[in-house]
Amino acid sequence: MTDLSTLYDAILSGDHKTARSLAQTALDENTDPKSIVDKYMIPAMDEAGRRFEANVFYVPELLIAARAMKAAMELIRPKLLENHVEPAGRVVVGTVQGDLHDIGKNLVASMLEGGGFEVIDLGVDVSPEQYVAAATEHGANLIALSALLTTTMPGMRAVVDLVKQSPAAGDLKVMIGGAPITQTYADEIGADGFSDNASGAVNEARRLVGVTAA
Amino acid sequence: MDGRVSAPREDFIRALERQPPAGRVPHFELVFFLTMQAFGKVHPSHRSYHQWDQMEEKERELHRRDMAGLFIDTARRFEHNAIFLHPNPGTLAETLRMIDLVRELSGDTYFLMLHGDATFGIPNGAQLEAFAYRLADDADGVKREAQQMVDNAVRRAEAISQHGGLDGFALCSDYCFNDGPFISPGQFSEFVTPYLVQLVSAYRDMGFYVIKHTDGNIMPIADQLLEANPHALHSLDPQGDVDMAEMKRLYGEQVCLIGNINCGLMDTGTVEEAEASARYALRHGMPGGGYIFSTSNCIYTGMPLERYERILDIWRAEGNYAA
Repeated sequence: MTDLSTLYDAILSGDHKTARSLAQTALDENTDPKSIVDKYMIPAMDEAGRRFEANVFYVPELLIAARAMKAAMELIRPKLLENHVEPAGRVVVGTVQGDLHDIGKNLVASMLEGGGFEVIDLGVDVSPEQYVAAATEHGANLIALSALLTTTMPGMRAVVDLVKQSPAAGDLKVMIGGAPITQTYADEIGADGFSDNASGAVNEARRLVGVTAA
Repeated sequence: MDGRVSAPREDFIRALERQPPAGRVPHFELVFFLTMQAFGKVHPSHRSYHQWDQMEEKERELHRRDMAGLFIDTARRFEHNAIFLHPNPGTLAETLRMIDLVRELSGDTYFLMLHGDATFGIPNGAQLEAFAYRLADDADGVKREAQQMVDNAVRRAEAISQHGGLDGFALCSDYCFNDGPFISPGQFSEFVTPYLVQLVSAYRDMGFYVIKHTDGNIMPIADQLLEANPHALHSLDPQGDVDMAEMKRLYGEQVCLIGNINCGLMDTGTVEEAEASARYALRHGMPGGGYIFSTSNCIYTGMPLERYERILDIWRAEGNYAA
């Protein structure tokens, strides 16, 4: 049997070709796909996130780790579906209405995928109604809002308010982030969660949907 | 009463060269976008001139003069020492005409600068992943592109230098998020610093002043920015935890410092918080000179004009060196 700690290493070092190759080998050896993800792939991305928070990794290292994760997941996801394995959660992400910035949003989306979440990325300039409609359509547990501009921050409150007013939203949670966003602002508008960085967003998403790190 | 003791341009240069200060601390903003509120005119950068070539020359000249006048009116009303020209269209020919027009209309009153960066900054969202992948997969190709960008910028600067009238360049590639640089200090030393060093050196050799701007937390790469030897660092972004007092202590003997007034607080903070940020920047930036009063970004669309006018009142009252 292949030593899958090498898959962990390949993802952490951003070696997407090796990660994909090792994932294929593991599947060929009939290794349980869920255990591949839970024991090696998500822990590798979690470690990448820890290194990012510690300023050991920077954005490029994080992104190439996410690329390696995705390369392996392309092979493993169909097997997970065959086995009816659910993702850690479903998250609708997007940059709020009037705001066209997407660097932070894209980073968070990549890290959430790396953390085992299914991500529905609505892009930029997303209206409150679009967030709620997509969350309802996809059965999402969580909406993640991004804003770079102080002038577009108020759009976050509009989403939070709409979620609270929408009977279809059920137990849908809202988390927010972006350069001008603070915990104080999140509390002020009634958001359920907040993170000031992409790695922390994964932990916050896990807390909100009630799952623990692999 | 204007606290200036000499021409705005000379005061600005004195600060850039960290000469002993006199009179009022110089001031400028990278951009003042609120021209509709202040003057009833659309900012030149917000104008769409896609029919520029179709216009009669007479009409083009009216537009040029209108934009030049707006740059000068902004500098006069808000007492800027420098004008950061944003020619539109941005061709070299129109850029040179704009320099000439502003000089014709305002003489040597103001320090004139243009965009001049040619180093890799934070790519936009769609390109960020691709850039990260290139750093990993094609480092040599990235370096070749970096060199080409510098070479092109130097050629443009040579043409502007031969033409005359321009004082300097503002290098506005953003390198940093609030929590640090977009690439590691190690990668920065490989893919940015060598090219920034070349660029600043070439501009200096042509007699231009150089202001390096970047938002965010620059502290992990501040030494590398200084290695490039710009005359000034701009932004000193408090939202990225850059502190004027610390910058003054660490780098005040090496480079002129510009900015640090918290744009976030000017926009969404209380009046008192915005005032406190302006006073903090003045208090810690002024000692010994080598300091220019400015916000940590620009007067951007959506910022309340009265907040900007309020911090200018503080500057007029408290930004004066003893005679």
